[in-house]
Amino acid sequence: MTVSQAIGLCPTLRLLEPDPVHYDEQFAKLLSALTEVSPVVEQAELGLAYVGTDGLEGIYGSAEKIVETIKGTLECWNVGMSEASSFRLGWGVGKFIAWVAASRAKRSEAIVVPIGEEQKFLASQPIAVLPLDHDIHRRLRQLGIRTLGALAALPEEAIAAQFGSVGRRLWLLAAGRITERVVGRISPEPIVAALMFFTPIGERELLIHSLDQLIVRALRHPRRIGWRVHALRLRADIEDGGSWLATILLKDPTADGARIAAPLKTRLEQSPPTGAVERLVLEFTAFAPGTSELQLFARDAQAAARAGQQRALQTAAREIRMRIKRSSLYHIIEVQPWSRLPERRYALIDYEP
Amino acid sequence: MVAPTRAPLRTDRLRAVNAPQQVTVDLQESGLMTVGWPDGRTVGRVEAILESWRIDDEWWRRPIARAYLEVMLEGGKRLVLFQDLITGEWFSQMP
Repeated sequence: MTVSQAIGLCPTLRLLEPDPVHYDEQFAKLLSALTEVSPVVEQAELGLAYVGTDGLEGIYGSAEKIVETIKGTLECWNVGMSEASSFRLGWGVGKFIAWVAASRAKRSEAIVVPIGEEQKFLASQPIAVLPLDHDIHRRLRQLGIRTLGALAALPEEAIAAQFGSVGRRLWLLAAGRITERVVGRISPEPIVAALMFFTPIGERELLIHSLDQLIVRALRHPRRIGWRVHALRLRADIEDGGSWLATILLKDPTADGARIAAPLKTRLEQSPPTGAVERLVLEFTAFAPGTSELQLFARDAQAAARAGQQRALQTAAREIRMRIKRSSLYHIIEVQPWSRLPERRYALIDYEP
Repeated sequence: MVAPTRAPLRTDRLRAVNAPQQVTVDLQESGLMTVGWPDGRTVGRVEAILESWRIDDEWWRRPIARAYLEVMLEGGKRLVLFQDLITGEWFSQMP
């Protein structure tokens, strides 16, 4: 439904701008809270996380007690929220069963599928819980297959013949034959570069100029040396409280600023922020090791030289701080070099080598 | 236990460079113009106005209207002044 259709149906409708940065931050806090219960936490998508509970019995006890502990953690997380949100919990062997159980649970409740009862639990579930596209869903319904039990009752080969490898996987899921384990991921510490504007800017050219500056700053970060950027996010705080977020996964990891900028610029062209931007934040969130060939290029030789300079600067800055008891080193950075107001063009930023 | 998955975001603190400094401008009937600091100290007497221009900006939020003067003080020192046309206050600023 489009916004105009919605307003047509409900003239008193109150429209709220999405705030993806807020959602992302809350979800990050949730993941962080879950790591207090288990070291194995897998982020599937925004709002969906898997917690590995293998080996936790010695700490918390039975599956029900583990679920209660997670529930308690989520309730504590919920208390800190400005608006109460709900959660659903499911426990089962493998990610699919746990997900189905969670999707069937009531708000702020949990469903535990005991070991050995997976097939019985799955049999009554609708086929909509399977990860299938609209076309397969329609065809299954036309064939009169409405539950996972009905699907699992058919021969595996017959389903594979009709729907190919996707169909075989769906059958295996429906029959409870696939047990996907939770894979905890090592989250690299992101490299962050931020720019705050004295006055919110809306012009796309100015945003792109600022983006280029942020990329240069982030690439110079010593932690980036020897690594190519694989995933990045560009976040914008919008005047009047909204936010904008672009997440990019680079097909070919790179340390080249232009190649990093290209998909972000496309995103800014195609779906720009809905208002004037007060702050722009660039994060490099995932990295790939630099190839051995890459080390031969001048860019990485320069990076190695910069690392040496960086160490020398760190030592000097530490000495200054010890002598005068405070940091008084600043960078001069371009903020709005195009501004007609001289005080807006450049700014000092704390320098922390 | 695993460390928090994300490092807290550091908000870079920015300090303005070349912020306007308030001055006083005394214009006498004879046309003599004197620039001073708010504490009463004199910066100098204006010998010539070299250039003047005006900036109007941000009318859509908090309007900014400034009348700039590049002046030469006695002794040859150059200074850029502007008058905030909304408040009437005078400031010195590098161009």
